[in-house]
Amino acid sequence: MQWLTVLYLVYTFIAFYFLFIYVLTYIQNRKEIYEIIKPKKIFSLSIVVPCYNEGKSIGKNIEALLASEYPGLEKIIIVDDCSTDNSFDIIKAYAKKYPKIMVVQTPTNTGRAAGAKNYGAKFVKTELIGFSDADSFPEKNAISNMVGFFNDNEMGAVTSRVLVENRKNMLSKIQSIEYKIIAFTRKLLGFLDSIYVTNGPLSIYRKKAFDDVGGFDYKNLTEDIEITWHFVAKGWKVQMAVLANIYSIVPEKFNEWWRQRIRWNIGGVQTVAKYSKKILKCGMLGKFILPFFVLSWFLGLAGLFLLVYRAINYFITKFLIAKYSIAANISILRFEEISLNPSILFLFGLLLFSLGFVFTIIALAYSREREYDRTKIRDIFIYSIFYLLMYPPLLIISFYKYIKREEKW
Amino acid sequence: MLKSRKHVFWEALIVTIFVFLVGFLVGIYIEQSNFNKLNDYSTLSEVSLMDGIALVELSKENFSCEILREKNIEFADKVFEEAKLLEEYEESGKLTESIKILHKKYDMLRTLAWISNSNAIDKCQNYDLIVYLYEYNPEGVNKKAAQSVWSRKLLDYKNENPNSVLLPISANQEITSLKILIEKYGVEKIPSVIINNERVIYEYDDLIIPSSDKN
Repeated sequence: MQWLTVLYLVYTFIAFYFLFIYVLTYIQNRKEIYEIIKPKKIFSLSIVVPCYNEGKSIGKNIEALLASEYPGLEKIIIVDDCSTDNSFDIIKAYAKKYPKIMVVQTPTNTGRAAGAKNYGAKFVKTELIGFSDADSFPEKNAISNMVGFFNDNEMGAVTSRVLVENRKNMLSKIQSIEYKIIAFTRKLLGFLDSIYVTNGPLSIYRKKAFDDVGGFDYKNLTEDIEITWHFVAKGWKVQMAVLANIYSIVPEKFNEWWRQRIRWNIGGVQTVAKYSKKILKCGMLGKFILPFFVLSWFLGLAGLFLLVYRAINYFITKFLIAKYSIAANISILRFEEISLNPSILFLFGLLLFSLGFVFTIIALAYSREREYDRTKIRDIFIYSIFYLLMYPPLLIISFYKYIKREEKW
Repeated sequence: MLKSRKHVFWEALIVTIFVFLVGFLVGIYIEQSNFNKLNDYSTLSEVSLMDGIALVELSKENFSCEILREKNIEFADKVFEEAKLLEEYEESGKLTESIKILHKKYDMLRTLAWISNSNAIDKCQNYDLIVYLYEYNPEGVNKKAAQSVWSRKLLDYKNENPNSVLLPISANQEITSLKILIEKYGVEKIPSVIINNERVIYEYDDLIIPSSDKN
């Protein structure tokens, strides 16, 4: 067997395995995906919102948090990270109007969300501490739907479902699909105690657990991934409330999206590097989350390699055949050379893609949302075929930047 | 609430292994069927070749050159069609090596046909014999492309001149008799074309066969 065939088989085996983990988890738990747990008591809660030059959206974020139905929300702490726009003035105006709002400012710009979040956490005295991004807007029942999970004393963190607020162009519409799929798969991973990130737009932590892990890692570009791994490593449980919807503004321009993804990927690499010694240790962190992360990278890189290798080979061969055909004075195109005898590898690939596509449709069908239109099949195809292809190059560049220590926010 | 369902890891592994096993078995079955089909063809071709060799032997006793010509062209055309099928099955065959063995067998048959046709054209000189020597599974794309164009060029020639025998033989199959023939005709590189056992050509432009109007 050729090495390329072996690589392809390893690739498809891992991809099938991950897909079947999701499919079986979904089949076995589909009735509990939307489970809401009623809190046994009113947990006191403070929400910390880091803010740096978010003048356009901070007001909307504060209003969305103020509209929360959760009675235990005692404080909304807005941390201005020395903004240079009018953010601080807006926050102060809200603080004057609403006593629930507390405004603090970092002594100097921390340069990273983790810095402002840790600074804000110093002012929290409640049982639970939540974090929200200034460009994200939770639904009024989002927090209420999350806190019930803290009935379990071992529950360290509960995360929400992030959906896209601005679906104006193709890029943001595709991200809307991506976010729904991520939310769906994250919920499924929750059934396996394997949630690997508690998102920035809205996550709530038990203050004791937050202090136990020492807050956010300032050096990490994706502090929300790192802290989740830290929770799991320390034995805290992490869950997700699917019915806790929060709408977030996503990049509408390709270069902004690219920068954001590079940052996320570098953060992922930093986290894996930090916890690499935990492989096969620390419960699900070492037994599944870490291998899952690394193998997902392998899938992305191997998939890209196979695709590029085959494409380059194909096009160079076709180019040379065309060149030599002209020299030999024969026709370039031959219909009799089209083979209708696909290999088993092709059939494996087709099956994998089809199952993945069906899974995507199911994930989207399960994404109960407010007034938004149904997702178009065209957009799902663009997401499945073209958008996902961007992941491996992003990863390669992120690896490069990580090695070069170009870890800018 | 929230009880963990980690048994799904084992279940998913079992399902994946099952899907892979089914896929492998189906793949091996398809490849084996393709092999069996071609193997049957090759046996028939072998019989046909033996018949041709017997005819050459008989021609020593003034047997009809016309029958010999028809027989050899018919055999070469049949083997050529089977070679196309063989190539198609080889492209799609990823799990087993059986088709490769069959390829070697076909190369052996075509080498025998070359020897048999050499005797026939020496005696009768009533058709053209074109032996195309190529490399099996070439590593570089350059050679792959060059060979592909040679195949097309020769196929065009064959279509325009049905009164000729075209024998494509892979030269790197470790067949001793073939090696001797290659040495005998002074072939310097592959791919190359030997026309009527007289001329060895390496360039497309040199593919001019003066006796192509033979009947």
